[in-house]
Amino acid sequence: MLRLENVSVAYGRVAALKGVSLELREGELISLIGANGAGKSTTLKTISGLLKPLSGRITWDGEPIAGLPPREILRRGIAHCPEGRRVFPHLTVRENLAMGALLRQDGAGIASDLDAMYHRFPRLKERAGQAAGTLSGGEQQMLAIARALMSRPRLVMFDEPSLGLAPNLVEQVFRIVEEVRLQGLMVLMVEQNALAALSLCDRAYLMETGCVVRSGTGAELLDSGDVRDAYLGGRAFAA
Amino acid sequence: MQQALQHLVNGTILGGTYALLGIGLTLIFGVMRVVNFTHGELYAFGAYMAYGLVALLRLDFYLSLLLATLLGTALGAAIELLLLRPLRRADIDSVMLAMIGAALVLQNANMWAWGGVAKLVPSPFAGTPLVFGPVSVMPLRLFVLGISCALLVGFWLLLERTRAGIAMRATFQDAETASLMGVRVGWVSTATFAIGSGLAAAAGALLGPVFMVSPTMGDLVGLKAFAIVILGGLGNLPGAVIGGFALGYVEEFGGGFLSTEYRDAFGFLLIILVLAVRPQGLVALKERVG
Repeated sequence: MLRLENVSVAYGRVAALKGVSLELREGELISLIGANGAGKSTTLKTISGLLKPLSGRITWDGEPIAGLPPREILRRGIAHCPEGRRVFPHLTVRENLAMGALLRQDGAGIASDLDAMYHRFPRLKERAGQAAGTLSGGEQQMLAIARALMSRPRLVMFDEPSLGLAPNLVEQVFRIVEEVRLQGLMVLMVEQNALAALSLCDRAYLMETGCVVRSGTGAELLDSGDVRDAYLGGRAFAA
Repeated sequence: MQQALQHLVNGTILGGTYALLGIGLTLIFGVMRVVNFTHGELYAFGAYMAYGLVALLRLDFYLSLLLATLLGTALGAAIELLLLRPLRRADIDSVMLAMIGAALVLQNANMWAWGGVAKLVPSPFAGTPLVFGPVSVMPLRLFVLGISCALLVGFWLLLERTRAGIAMRATFQDAETASLMGVRVGWVSTATFAIGSGLAAAAGALLGPVFMVSPTMGDLVGLKAFAIVILGGLGNLPGAVIGGFALGYVEEFGGGFLSTEYRDAFGFLLIILVLAVRPQGLVALKERVG
């Protein structure tokens, strides 16, 4: 179980998170929704160790992990699939997947996971020897997800997995996120597509300017008037 | 024609060591975004270490070259740990000034330790050239070419075929995401700087028996290393190899057919030309690394 208690983070002197608390239980899919700049990505970066909190506690299965470097966080089973896909453009698809398994020592396990990824994402197999930068946006997102899974995490954090994708691909990405959860992994997802995120998740947190302002099940947030007005009002979603 | 063949051979031999210099510098820039002004001094350091080990300590020639390269690698690691690591969050101007300062210190240390008189590293190779038809070449120079090419291939295999190499290239492309994969970016920086320095020291140690070793030799070599890297495109590894050989050929052919006096100038003329016509470098690849 992952628990954030009163976590504050700043970029220089600008506060980015002001006392955020949230928790993620075994097997849950949690969404973080909110406007740009609300602190959603910052929350993920703080959990994965890219940012160090000024104050507050982060525990993973009861062990404090705040301030540990990303390598140690990953070792403990938390993978971060960053915003904007961030595949290594000049590495091949296969090398990108190998980077995902960098900390693992079990050669046979890595090979069988690689086969499983190729089976799940046949496009990646077709393009295994190709530089990742030459893939389409949708293929790059599949690669970024597969790369995160190659570390065999217990928790995957997806930052805006549907950003910039065509509607049919958006649907596909959310289907994959759901599959990941069905495999028993915990998922923490940041999404601008609030309707899709709320329909998919068990529970959600709504963030505004560095604070969690509301939380509840996906259905509760979907039904609440202010969420509807602010994030769902009048917008047509494909997913 | 015969003369041209001879220059081609000489240019290839020179180009191999220039390529070693170039990939070291371009790798350091690519991974760390550090403009390494100490590069020429590491070359001089390698040459002096080879001289000290062979001429003063009377160690085996081949062993001395290996040790000189390893000492250069260690010096590079020390510079990274003591100077660059504390400046990791500093702006580029501070880092550049620190590197210029380090270059001055290294150069004056050479002067102090070895004196101003040029030295030659004694080599066990015969002084009579091998003759292949119209071309003659000193055995020592063939040895230099062989080792340069072996180091280039070895380095390429390291980058392409090992996990460490893939991690290094990933860091080159996106350090933050590489850290999310578990890469210790700080150690990759140290390793990169050490390997780049080791390659420069190897080039110096290899050419120490061919050319004279003098305390200020690092100045011109440092400039040439930048020239090679700019020719190939900054941060472009295959480009640095091509730039190294291009510079070797231009110097050799220019020196042979036009004027020996202006030999070093031809290389810089080439750079001015390339910058005017193709500022992105000779090899503007879609792919910047590997």
